[in-house]
Amino acid sequence: MKKFLLATTFLTGMTGAVLADGHEIKAGVILGFTGPIESLTPAMADSAELAWKEASNSGALLGGKTIVPIRADSTCNDSAAATAAAERLVTSDKVVAIYGADCSGVTTAVANSVGVPNGVVMVSPSATSPALSTIEDNGYFFRTAPSDARQGQVLAEIVKGRGISEVAITFTNNDYGKGLADSFSTAFEGAGGKVLITAAHEDGKADYSAEVGALSASGAKVLVVFGYLDQGGRGIVQASLDSGAFDSFIFADGMIGQSLVDAFGEDLVGSFGTAPGGEGDGAARFLELAKAAGFDGDGPFRPESYDAAALIALAMQAAGSSDRAAIQAKMMEVANAPGEKIMAGEIGKALKILADGGDIDYVGATNVEFNDVGEVFGSYKELEVKGGKFETIKVH
Amino acid sequence: MDLLNAIVLFSNFVVLPGLAYGSQLALGALGVTLVFGILRFANFAHGDMMAFGTMVTILVTWWLQSAGIGLGVLPTALLALPFGIAFAALFALATDRLVYRYYRKVRASPGVFVMASIGVMFIMNGIVRLVIGPEDQRFGDGERFIIRAREFREITGLDEGLAIRTSQALTIVLAIILVAALFWFLQKTKTGTSMRAFSDNANLALLSGIDPERVVRITWLIAAALATIAGALYGLDKSFKPFTYFQLLLPIFAAAIVGGIGQPVGAIVGGYIVAFSEVTITYAYKKLLAYLLPEGLEPDGLMQFLSTDYKFAVSFIILVIVLLVRPTGIFRGKVI
Amino acid sequence: MSAGLSVATVRTLLAYAVMAVLLILVGFGQSWSLALAILNLCLISAVMSLGVNLQWGYAGIFNVGIMGFAALGGVAAVLVSSEPVADAWAAGGADMALAALAALVVCGLLAIVYRRFHKGPLRAIVMSAVIVVGYVAVRLFYDPAVAAIESVNPAKTGYLGGLGLPILVSWLVGGLFAGGAAWVVGKIALGLRADYLAIATLGISEIIVAVLKNEDWLTRGVKNVTGLPRPVPYEIDLQSSPGFIAWVERWHSDALAGLSGETREAALQLMVIDAAGVIVKLSYAGLFATVLVIILTLLVLALKSPWGRMVRAIRDNETAAAAMGKDVTMRHLQIFVLGSAIVGVAGAMLTTLDGQFTPGTYNPLRFTFLIMVMVIVGGSGNNLGAVLGGFLIWFVWIQAEPAGTWLMNLITASMDESNTIRAHLLDSAQHMRVILMGAVLLTVLRFSPGGILPERRETA
Repeated sequence: MKKFLLATTFLTGMTGAVLADGHEIKAGVILGFTGPIESLTPAMADSAELAWKEASNSGALLGGKTIVPIRADSTCNDSAAATAAAERLVTSDKVVAIYGADCSGVTTAVANSVGVPNGVVMVSPSATSPALSTIEDNGYFFRTAPSDARQGQVLAEIVKGRGISEVAITFTNNDYGKGLADSFSTAFEGAGGKVLITAAHEDGKADYSAEVGALSASGAKVLVVFGYLDQGGRGIVQASLDSGAFDSFIFADGMIGQSLVDAFGEDLVGSFGTAPGGEGDGAARFLELAKAAGFDGDGPFRPESYDAAALIALAMQAAGSSDRAAIQAKMMEVANAPGEKIMAGEIGKALKILADGGDIDYVGATNVEFNDVGEVFGSYKELEVKGGKFETIKVH
Repeated sequence: MDLLNAIVLFSNFVVLPGLAYGSQLALGALGVTLVFGILRFANFAHGDMMAFGTMVTILVTWWLQSAGIGLGVLPTALLALPFGIAFAALFALATDRLVYRYYRKVRASPGVFVMASIGVMFIMNGIVRLVIGPEDQRFGDGERFIIRAREFREITGLDEGLAIRTSQALTIVLAIILVAALFWFLQKTKTGTSMRAFSDNANLALLSGIDPERVVRITWLIAAALATIAGALYGLDKSFKPFTYFQLLLPIFAAAIVGGIGQPVGAIVGGYIVAFSEVTITYAYKKLLAYLLPEGLEPDGLMQFLSTDYKFAVSFIILVIVLLVRPTGIFRGKVI
Repeated sequence: MSAGLSVATVRTLLAYAVMAVLLILVGFGQSWSLALAILNLCLISAVMSLGVNLQWGYAGIFNVGIMGFAALGGVAAVLVSSEPVADAWAAGGADMALAALAALVVCGLLAIVYRRFHKGPLRAIVMSAVIVVGYVAVRLFYDPAVAAIESVNPAKTGYLGGLGLPILVSWLVGGLFAGGAAWVVGKIALGLRADYLAIATLGISEIIVAVLKNEDWLTRGVKNVTGLPRPVPYEIDLQSSPGFIAWVERWHSDALAGLSGETREAALQLMVIDAAGVIVKLSYAGLFATVLVIILTLLVLALKSPWGRMVRAIRDNETAAAAMGKDVTMRHLQIFVLGSAIVGVAGAMLTTLDGQFTPGTYNPLRFTFLIMVMVIVGGSGNNLGAVLGGFLIWFVWIQAEPAGTWLMNLITASMDESNTIRAHLLDSAQHMRVILMGAVLLTVLRFSPGGILPERRETA
């Protein structure tokens, strides 16, 4: 029986590989389409699939192949369901690489029990837990969202540099928010600042007046919000403005987006924050692309999603094959210098360069540059609300 | 001056939010408690019924907005509410017909009813997400504030501001009107009295010729109306997201039980108790005490009884205490 | 054996055969790796479902706090298996011990006050005073301890860590944790009406999860504990072990015979990857199946004993049983503790399989209501039914997702590419899963209230 079992595993494996070499290349999309971040994920998936569509439509991908995205539900928080879904993608649908997963918890689980053991590249757009830097990934796990540890430091320096010495912190009660809050507090207090209160908020809760009340009672004048702009983070800002508790905010990437400024308008003038990105206008170009494709590219982890998917497409082009291991071997190469800089929206051009044997350095929407463990350690933009939008002040 | 500041501060962060939140919980708990009184089971699908009614309201609101129909300073959603209520009522009646009626006929145990309501909850949950999606939706328009904190500070010259939102005022006013109307209905109308009779003693009510199915239908109508209004007000005050409504179920249940399940007065009192406990226990009193205490005695710490992380747990701690001390709730509910 | 019984037996056999065929179909149609992955979770679900069935099916106790007990099992896995963090112990261990001591003293004082004073306002006042003063005293030690522990390298540790024991031990400890908590909960809440108890347990489970999420010094909270040690080998270790590769080579010698050079290497590598995955999953399946069989056997034996008959008698007519002098409350408490302990074991098993503890995982839909559906659909009051329910519902839960997508594709096939309704429906396919669960639950409850394998009523 066992022998039979293994033999069939092998056979189905072979047929899958044959299919994958046809005109269509299957790639996995695993995000929490249900569960706590279900309101963020549809646009993230759209962003990723936009990049693949761009690659497919260019006609240059591996001599005219198309990438077919296959979606699976990570649920964001149920590791068991997420690994089962990933298992299906990898062993049944035979995807060549996975874009995802999203939340750090399920991402670790999927990487450990599906991605790495099966030798499938995973590129997460949003798993920011510092613990993911040190997992045993055999080089198969990448992320286009930087580890929280880095952003906390950068933001702390900016805040201190602006002469603010006392803040209140609120964070969304998950590994992203908590991780950022930890690294920010450590860096900020190290630089002589004072954190008067740190209070968590749960996403999707009824009412944030209690949190805001406690935060404001600390006596701080500035509120640091580590949350999501369409979730609890927005609720906190709303409740703060409504009650007059705070009118000056500091945001991290999850809160940066036009919809926040649109919602609160004048009230946010002078608030500032950080988001991954660099010189150049990759992010702006991505927004235009998204708009042309019929969705709003302005939101958490959307540009990161585009970049994650783009890298997968570029790596297979560089490898000249959609083989799983071959993709892995080229990921670093296409993301990093040397080579011609590739912005968002230039995937077709990049594919042609690669097909001609050239070298590229993918910059994309978020200024991607991988360090040796396959995560971005890129630069951050300092943004401030001015004239009805977030304006880039400086790149750190 | 310090005393005035302290009062304004306390009103702004504790009293006003507590009142609005409490009103929303009270309306939800009223629905739960009515269903419990007549049908004798805890309806786990109530949170999702709120979401369903609100969803329809939102869809109609969008349509009205696109047609350029509005209410000026008041939110357009008020106009759309009747549609939301109608659809929620239809849905509630349909589930009663398809699901609950059978169990009444076979006189199933309350546990089976609750289990069935969990099934209904699953389905409603899915339908809402299927139709409107899981995302955050905003549908408020009109004037957002009656008075802003900044304006209040400028007018009064105090250090502390007081902000009153239209949605908060609307919630409180509507809650008062609804509760008054409901009590008038239960006390003064023939249907209302027959409902109370049925709730007090079903067998006796049957003997006196009350049509039980009619009572049940009216109960669902009222529960659906209350759920939709509570849901829509809540959505106007904060924002609409299906997941939130599922989570609202817990404080709503706590409110209904603390007040005494099956007792409409209890539901209202319970709603405010739960809301105010959440706010007062997790509020940091540092700033308030700084105003009230003489100079030099200001506290160093935050003076917070419980971190806001456990805000959610507060309603259940109250619940457990009530269970231990007075299991029938404040107003002698039906459960022993 | 009477004719009626044999019909039931045939039905049981048939139901299990169908389940086995379903899993095998996945193996052929999708992949064996996926089939085994589903099987492992089916086994864990079956254990959980057994625990809940003991409460609901055999005693009529409506426990909607399953999530909390599963989470306690999960935390046991962390506290037993992760390595102790020496720096954190040095930084805050002493203060934390003092805080625990203070809490104990307060509890002791409360007990003394409770015994010494007569019931009345005075006792209430004194007890409240003890609680308030005690709370402040505990916080005096607790707050600095937490601050000290959590500041020890928060990105990697920031908690006290565990005992560093083999993770298998935690399966027992998880049962003890959950059983202990259930004893306290049962003391408070049992004896209430069914739906009242349901709400109370729902609330308590939320509190348990809130504590696990926010007490970072104990569990790292939402930062998750990842990389828990496994009781079975790691796939990547197997893949690089020469012995294992040689074994796979021998195993597949027929298939490899015709190949040579690079093609042979590539084929072999593929085989090794697949074999490693399958072996690891089979090892887990063996461990889980062992636990399932042990618990099932013990339950069957217990429920056949006089104790089991008494339990069912109480369920069927509580008043009559009480009138006959049976201690109803005590039996209920025993059942509640036992059932919750079983759920705790399953919770620890699940955390072991995941290899990580993520408090955010625990949500009532997945960990409470889904398990209830398993019991109802499988057959409440029948252990074999509950096991089947665990298998079947988990299977449907996982497979509903591709099925939902397929269904949506079918529905929308006739619509235009650019149709917004089509895009919307395709995007929402995942939500079909919840609707399906609800429909299954309602259908079974209505048309086959005993479930697929109804309880066998023994006639006198």
